[in-house]
Amino acid sequence: MSRDLLFEIGTEELPDWYVTDGSRSLGALLQERMQAVGLGPSAVTVYATPRRLAVVATGVPERSAQRVTERRGPSAAVAFDAAGAPTRAAEAFASSSGVSVGSLQRRQTDRGEYVYAQVVSGGEPAAAVLPDLLATLVADLPAPRKMRWADVETPFVRPVAWLTARLEEETLPVRAAGVGAGGATRGHRFLAPGEVAISRPAAYAEALREAWVLADEAERREATRAAVAELAGSQGLTPVEDPALLTEVGNLIEWPFPILGRFSADYLELPDEVLLAVMVKHQRFFPLRSADGSLAAAFVGVANNRVSDEAVVRRGYEDVLAGRLYDARFFWRADRERSLSQHAWSLTGIAFQRDLGSMADKTSRVASGAEAVADAVDLSQEARAALVAATPLFRADLATQMVYEFPELEGVMARAYALAEGQPEPVADALMGGVMPKGPDDPLPPTEAGAVLAVADRLDKLVGFFALGKRPSGSADPFGLRRDAHGLVRVLAARGWRASVPTLVEAAAAAYRGGPVAVDAGTLDEVAGFVWDRVAALLDERGLRTQVIRAAVEGSHTVLGALRRGALLSRLEETAGFTDLMALYKRAANLAERYEGAVDEDPVDAVDPTLFASQQEEALQAALPAGASGATALLAAAVAALPPHDPAHGAGALTAVEVALEPGLSDLLSLKAPLDAYLDGVLVMAEDEKLRRNRLALLAAVVHPLRRLGALEHLAG
Amino acid sequence: MLLQEIVFTLDRFWSDRGCVIAPPHDTEVGAGTFYPTTFLRSLGPDPWRVAGLAPSRRPVDGRYGANPYRFQYFYQYQVVLKPSPKDVQQVYLESLGALGIDFRDHDMRFVEDNWESPTLGAWGLGWEVWMDGMEITQFTYFQQVGGLDCRPVSVELTYGLERIGMYLQGVSHAFDLRMSRDVTLGELRREFEVQHSRYNFEASDPELQRELFDRYEAEARRLLEEGLHQPAYEFVMKSSHAFNLLDARGVLSHAERQAYVQRVRRLAEASARAHVAPREPAMEGA
Repeated sequence: MSRDLLFEIGTEELPDWYVTDGSRSLGALLQERMQAVGLGPSAVTVYATPRRLAVVATGVPERSAQRVTERRGPSAAVAFDAAGAPTRAAEAFASSSGVSVGSLQRRQTDRGEYVYAQVVSGGEPAAAVLPDLLATLVADLPAPRKMRWADVETPFVRPVAWLTARLEEETLPVRAAGVGAGGATRGHRFLAPGEVAISRPAAYAEALREAWVLADEAERREATRAAVAELAGSQGLTPVEDPALLTEVGNLIEWPFPILGRFSADYLELPDEVLLAVMVKHQRFFPLRSADGSLAAAFVGVANNRVSDEAVVRRGYEDVLAGRLYDARFFWRADRERSLSQHAWSLTGIAFQRDLGSMADKTSRVASGAEAVADAVDLSQEARAALVAATPLFRADLATQMVYEFPELEGVMARAYALAEGQPEPVADALMGGVMPKGPDDPLPPTEAGAVLAVADRLDKLVGFFALGKRPSGSADPFGLRRDAHGLVRVLAARGWRASVPTLVEAAAAAYRGGPVAVDAGTLDEVAGFVWDRVAALLDERGLRTQVIRAAVEGSHTVLGALRRGALLSRLEETAGFTDLMALYKRAANLAERYEGAVDEDPVDAVDPTLFASQQEEALQAALPAGASGATALLAAAVAALPPHDPAHGAGALTAVEVALEPGLSDLLSLKAPLDAYLDGVLVMAEDEKLRRNRLALLAAVVHPLRRLGALEHLAG
Repeated sequence: MLLQEIVFTLDRFWSDRGCVIAPPHDTEVGAGTFYPTTFLRSLGPDPWRVAGLAPSRRPVDGRYGANPYRFQYFYQYQVVLKPSPKDVQQVYLESLGALGIDFRDHDMRFVEDNWESPTLGAWGLGWEVWMDGMEITQFTYFQQVGGLDCRPVSVELTYGLERIGMYLQGVSHAFDLRMSRDVTLGELRREFEVQHSRYNFEASDPELQRELFDRYEAEARRLLEEGLHQPAYEFVMKSSHAFNLLDARGVLSHAERQAYVQRVRRLAEASARAHVAPREPAMEGA
């Protein structure tokens, strides 16, 4: 007969993010450890609130599963005397294995005859095994940061207040973190502060619901969403959509009690982003929109208590928000007493990185880097005008009080202050775009001038830090260089400029010339390599296999090119013609390696038909244009199938991109028959040097269009 | 309840729970955590309970008295309990009850707060306590102080007295708080606040503060070498305040700022080590 298990770790209030992470870890760890001792449950459900992490495991077997493991003992010569009687060594081995001497077996191995014991383990009652196992969960539950309290030596995320451990009706004697487990849980801190009896583990969530606790995280989140929307709706308002806020608020409470409050409409003079930052980040209030979509001077706060007089809480919410908005307006007005260019002067006082100067030094490098990048990507006249006007003001908002107080508004405030002082919108957008994207899933710069600035800014940082030898090692990336490179790659893929990665690195690095930090060619190669590593990581995330990634990355000059080649090659791999294609490539590439042509020269131009001595040579040459146009057609199909786009999460698997392979593939494969005939009938490595060179050039001319598809040598195998 | 009655009430409440009610320390500090009765006494194994008014100065927070909540000089009420009691959250909520705040009538929250004082080499985990969205207390389990692990762990409660008073008296600016029957906090502190805001932001002499910092630092170091860690720590507090004045004046680059923080921290850690060190050799010698 199987039973259900409940284990609850009651705590002082957990950080909101750990409510989710901690309960998942607890479920996984419990499952893993129960499985390991042969007590694997049939299902595990986790529950979590700010004051508890809990897990209910159903179908826990009565006893742990029996397992027989074989243990090897001493050699037979040692275990038995001449008369075949067991020696003391055999007795010791049997006793340490928990079996009788009589049950020991002798067996011949390739290293001689040895003694074996069949050790039976498991079969213990679940109730005997679980207490220690559950105690280890408290000690071993992973968390990024744990704390100690009082004189308890087992650290946890916040102090452990109680433990509940039940196997059906039975309370298990678990002891951990200075607390002994009981059979009852506890209700809401204020609304049901006492112990709450649980009839059986399966009734855990229902018992808590009676005690003002919604123990299921998803249910609580949904209840919060619905309650906030309903209250806002009653005033003709709609909550701003913000899933992260909803999750956070849901994990700050055990039961939602929404309260609608208002603030003075005077504060609506502040930019929306500021209002949102104050309400969301600082107060965890839901901002509300009016029917016309504009922000209303109202909000919903979600209380964790059912109070007798809601007006008391509302007044508190309103007062504290008013204080913060007052501050924000103070900054908004004070910051605008100086122009952005005056703020830019203050960047000399803000350090960027030791040995790389101040933020002012950085932005002046970025200004010249951005111009070089603009040249490389052939930036339009209008965008260039915006860029040139923006660069002297870039990151000037770092010196404002608003950004000091609300760092997450960097860029957004640059845009707001630029517009407020009458800068044209494209300039304001460029200033904002230059610091985008902020996180791996955050939006990209909205304009091309902003994208150029963003690329120059990130490359400046990568080049500078690599020159100082501060590249990331292993998982450590203290300066966030991987994040910067990831953002860079996203911008490049979304813009689809034709400038190659090394060209852009070179352009951004030029500003370091003559400066205090030596940037040599090796550093630039490393930076480009680092950027390609991020591209490879992205291709991996998007479902491509390692060989395809290598072929795509090594065969491309641009980020978007690598994405397109990745999609194309993974499609080609699935076709029937792929084997022929690779055979074609391998046969030609084998000898073509010995061809020494000029760099950048298409070997087809080096083929001299007057030196042909056979029909096969002529036939192969005649087939070359079809091959070249086949490769061109395939690449064009990849271009058409995959326009410039943000390749971050949610962009979909590259393996699913529909690339039209015909007629390109057939054209390419039309090279195969003439190539085979050529290699079978013509001595490529002729004695005569001129002949040999011409014949090698012909092979290289076959490889050339194939190589445009990617570094195919990684796929030939 | 008058602002000073809030202090009396908390004094009485914590006195009843075995705390020493220590008078405010007479050196400028950025927070009650700097008090020797917190910083030094939270180190080592001996149980310790202390509470009391802790006036603090944060020059950079000055708003010329215009902001209802922010001041460069303000009152904290500081409680330190070592080891941290198991029911400390509940006891804390009851202390609000003593002030006439029934926590059942409010939206009380314990919101994650990772506290760190780089100048003191101290960090801890705990919460901001929110009452109806307003932060009224910082609640911290010290993990390290002066670079040393806390064993056992102390818990520090820092009440924001002005905020609690504003709620209790129903006023929307701290200066409207009644301190005594006849005197408001504004009468007591407005002139002080306005002038000091001007001093901190506009009129202080950065060269003097730089020089004072250097001298305080040298003095602290000399005293540590003399085995006088208590007076040395006084100079750590003074150097920290000189740094805070320089910071408010806006004359420090990011890098310079970091360097000053490191210098204070080294002294604070040396003081902490000196405070813990003597007992062991002394006992061995005995």
